[in-house]
Amino acid sequence: MAHLVHYPEAHPFVFRFTHWVNLICMLLLILSGIEIHYPVVPYLMGVARGVHMFCAFVILINLIFRIVAAGFIKSAPAYGTRETKLDMYTFFPQKDNRHQLWPWIKYYLFFKKEHPLGGKYGVPQKLSYLLIAVAILFMGYTGFCLWAPTMNIPFFAGFTTLVGGLMKVRVIHYFMMFFFICFTLIHIYLANIEGIDPTKVMLLGTKPHGGLTYSLETRNISGYDPMDEEIIVMEDKVVLEKD
Amino acid sequence: MQDSFIESLESRGLTRRAFLGFCGTIAAAIGIEGVTAADVAEAIESNSLIGTNGGLGEGALAPVIWMELGSCTGCTESFAQADNPDPATLILEYLALNYAETLSAAAGYSLEEAREETIEAAKGKYVVVIEGAVMTRYDGEILRIAGAPTCAPHESHLLHTCKDAAVVIAAGSCAVDGGFCAAYPNPGDAEGIQKYLKDNGVSTPVVNLPSCPVNPANLVAVIVQYLLLGPESVVAGLNEFNMPAAMYGETIHDNCERRGHFENGEFVYEFGSEEEAKGYCLYALGCKGPQTKANCPQVRWNRRVSWCVASGAPCIGCCNGDPRTTVRNWIDVDSPFLGRLKTLRLGDIAFQPTPVALGVTGLLTAALVVHGIGMKATGRTKGGAPFEKEREWDVKHGKKEPSTVPVVEEQVVVDFEEGK
Ligand code: HEM
Ligand code: HEM
Ligand code: SF4
Ligand code: SF4
Repeated sequence: MAHLVHYPEAHPFVFRFTHWVNLICMLLLILSGIEIHYPVVPYLMGVARGVHMFCAFVILINLIFRIVAAGFIKSAPAYGTRETKLDMYTFFPQKDNRHQLWPWIKYYLFFKKEHPLGGKYGVPQKLSYLLIAVAILFMGYTGFCLWAPTMNIPFFAGFTTLVGGLMKVRVIHYFMMFFFICFTLIHIYLANIEGIDPTKVMLLGTKPHGGLTYSLETRNISGYDPMDEEIIVMEDKVVLEKD
Repeated sequence: MQDSFIESLESRGLTRRAFLGFCGTIAAAIGIEGVTAADVAEAIESNSLIGTNGGLGEGALAPVIWMELGSCTGCTESFAQADNPDPATLILEYLALNYAETLSAAAGYSLEEAREETIEAAKGKYVVVIEGAVMTRYDGEILRIAGAPTCAPHESHLLHTCKDAAVVIAAGSCAVDGGFCAAYPNPGDAEGIQKYLKDNGVSTPVVNLPSCPVNPANLVAVIVQYLLLGPESVVAGLNEFNMPAAMYGETIHDNCERRGHFENGEFVYEFGSEEEAKGYCLYALGCKGPQTKANCPQVRWNRRVSWCVASGAPCIGCCNGDPRTTVRNWIDVDSPFLGRLKTLRLGDIAFQPTPVALGVTGLLTAALVVHGIGMKATGRTKGGAPFEKEREWDVKHGKKEPSTVPVVEEQVVVDFEEGK
């Protein structure tokens, strides 16, 4: 029973909403992108392009909203606590995560037996979320380099020339899609491999199982919150753990 | 127009109507508001050898020297259609094409003399048209013209000819970026004329007219614009690639007559198919129209008869080279011609983006599966491994003792035993 409780405070409604927008847009962008790249399904190009551009604008606005909202909305900066702070602190360097990058890598590569302590997002996880924000912006930028209404604006045309023409931009945009696909694969894998609770909280906001609590002061495990789990379940687990 | 001029046109098989129609195309290609077909006709007539300005020599305000370098002569060919004269060819002749290896009747010493005379007589006023790539390998010995290497550094008759010209026009993609000659692995070290002149300190403005071959209408349009409005006007209209922005500003795709089929998702997937017969969009066959900027759909080819896509061939992006370097050659940028994305190269290894991208994604998926098996085997899939007591770094640096906090499992047991 090494899980921290996944209190919904970690993912307040607004950020669950932006995550849903991300998820849906990304799915549609990938599907429509594949269709634009090569029209696998006939008679759908117009729809695919419409969907692609619509979702492109939505995901970019969503991203900007997500970033701005981080400065106004509070969330729990770690699992296992109901205390909240402005959400942006989750994305700044946290004392909870200091010196933890290497232990995380070792843990994922099975060179470390124990689960590293940390804030809501472990170091590699946090880096990947920051990277995904940059990647979405960059994807939008290359997209507008390819989009006829904007391709001749110097801000975009300059990049096209820099990399060597629209064909290169297209190749970059295309490769970037696989970057997103790979990110999403890793992301879904890591979010669920140690239990489905984080996904339930993130996508549905459901009430979590009981688990360990975490103190923002000691930055360590501080106890156990059974939530309203039946004692018998706990008993079971405790017995199992003791074995 | 004077009768003598019209007569002369007609004697060469071109009606007044056809001539004016062509002038309209030229005016459109120049793309400057206020420049009409009549202006174009006037400019051609008054600068021609048999026009209002009278006899040979005098009328030739802007003689043209056409130099052929590493080329297939296709650009000349696209001008000179012997049995059915193209207006563009005629006009170029009228404008005093004083030197052209393929077209001139003279040859050898007398032709070389004509070139020298033109340079002397019309310093700063004549136009040089370059066809083909500058072949720089072996100090230019790879291509000799008139008894000398074409492009020895600092000293060549190519530099000599271009130095005193009003404007140098790179006609066709080989002259622009080296074209087929410069395609990977570019054995002759071919390059475009703009780069060659710049590297050798010649500052004559270069106007790049890519496409393979050059579109005669665009070439004549630049010359006419020069006659009408002067070199400043020509230079002012150039984009960052020294191509006239009016001609190379919009994509083929945005003006393509098959665009409706594109939007409807009606594609030709295979040559010889039913879809091809229906004239559907050629995107799936690798049409490079969406990433190629040129006026082919508007100006068209062969006296507006047709152009690549209209004739059923996907655009191969022949205008996509970058004249400032040899590494963005249009063939390298656009091949395979029938593929959607270009072939990438790392050194000598060539690969397509899709297999690499799919391969990486596949490897990653496999790695995740293996990792998942590891997670399962180490019992981490139900809540992860037990937490460390303290952060490794803190313990190692003596900041914290590993057991300052109650051991987790025990605490659970304690809580439980207390009856919570
Ligand atoms: C975020 C803003 C984005 C913008 C503004 C954008 C814009 C565009 C545009 C304009 C095109 C060319 C469409 C055409 O030729 O009609 C395109 C193609 C494409 N997009 Fe995006 N896009 C964005 C995001 C994405 C994302 C997130 C993905 C996938 C994860 C994606 C995948 C693709 C693919 C695969 C193509 C086809 C490229 C090709 O092979 O030609 N795009 N996009
Ligand atoms: C079925 C698909 C997905 C599932 C199950 C999923 C699940 C999750 C979970 C559980 C978290 C919280 C992680 C944690 O608290 O440790 C999360 C966060 C996040 N996910 Fe996803 N995700 C999915 C798809 C995506 C996609 C497609 C993207 C964007 C490319 C994305 C981007 C993010 C980002 C940026 C965060 C940080 C959330 C924030 O604080 O705003 N996710 N996701
Ligand atoms: S044929 Fe080529 S240029 Fe024409 S609409 Fe189709 S993709 Fe675009
Ligand atoms: S349509 Fe494409 S391939 Fe044909 S001449 Fe124009 S740019 Fe070149």
